[in-house]
Amino acid sequence: MNESHLSVLKLRDLLLVTVPAEADDTTVSALQQKVLEAMERHEPKAVVMDISLVETLDSFFARTISETAQMINIMGSRAIIAGMQPAVAVAATEIGLKLGSIEASLNVDRALDLAEKPRRGHTSHE
Amino acid sequence: MSIGRLTWPKNRVVATPLMNKEPSTELPIEGEGDIVLARRAARQLAQEVGFGPTDVTRIVTACSEMARNVFKYAGQGKMSWRILEGDSGPGLELKFDDRGPGIADIETAMREGYSSSGGLGMGLPGAKRLMDEFRIDSTIGRGTSVVLKKWLRRP
Repeated sequence: MNESHLSVLKLRDLLLVTVPAEADDTTVSALQQKVLEAMERHEPKAVVMDISLVETLDSFFARTISETAQMINIMGSRAIIAGMQPAVAVAATEIGLKLGSIEASLNVDRALDLAEKPRRGHTSHE
Repeated sequence: MSIGRLTWPKNRVVATPLMNKEPSTELPIEGEGDIVLARRAARQLAQEVGFGPTDVTRIVTACSEMARNVFKYAGQGKMSWRILEGDSGPGLELKFDDRGPGIADIETAMREGYSSSGGLGMGLPGAKRLMDEFRIDSTIGRGTSVVLKKWLRRP
């Protein structure tokens, strides 16, 4: 997959990241890099990772998503994953992936709403 | 790379799965891209057997873990498959073979959270949970073979 297809879009004070449907490991890692670079450039309030296209979330993919969320957090922004497909949620939970600590939304629309609200149970790092 | 319905690389697959019920179809796993191809093959096979979206995703996820193990630990190997005819309906068998270093202690490798590679240690136990049947054979210095089965209706 060509890395130039990876979409990291600045939307007002947010970043919208579209995670591709079928990504190999290199692409997933490249996406992480691209997100972090965009964060430095745009200083977004939140980063919404749209995973609605993703049909298979295996442990490598999940770890990259989870690490990316953690990196976004410690850089001082907020990570929200949006749009996980039901079947993916089932498989990810059965396989034992722990994504529960990441903020999540049903879809991008709701993620944008969520980004406007203060983070639940979150003590600011500032 | 197209994302939609399958476009097989011409040199990879010799027959469409359901036309040939003998275990003669396989896919080499020699690079990262092959993990993606293995997932696609598993998805198509599972859909052809008639599995619903949740089971398809379980099968594809298990396949992804096993294909990655082959690539990560052995460098190369293959995935082969069979459509099964069980008493209570069809099933799908996916087999992963490599000639890698083998697993010294399968019991430990099957343990939740154990990883010899700095991974999450979810590959083997996770795949086992997602499938109906799971068999692993490994010989040090000879390689590893993992067989996964899922039945459309559990026997």
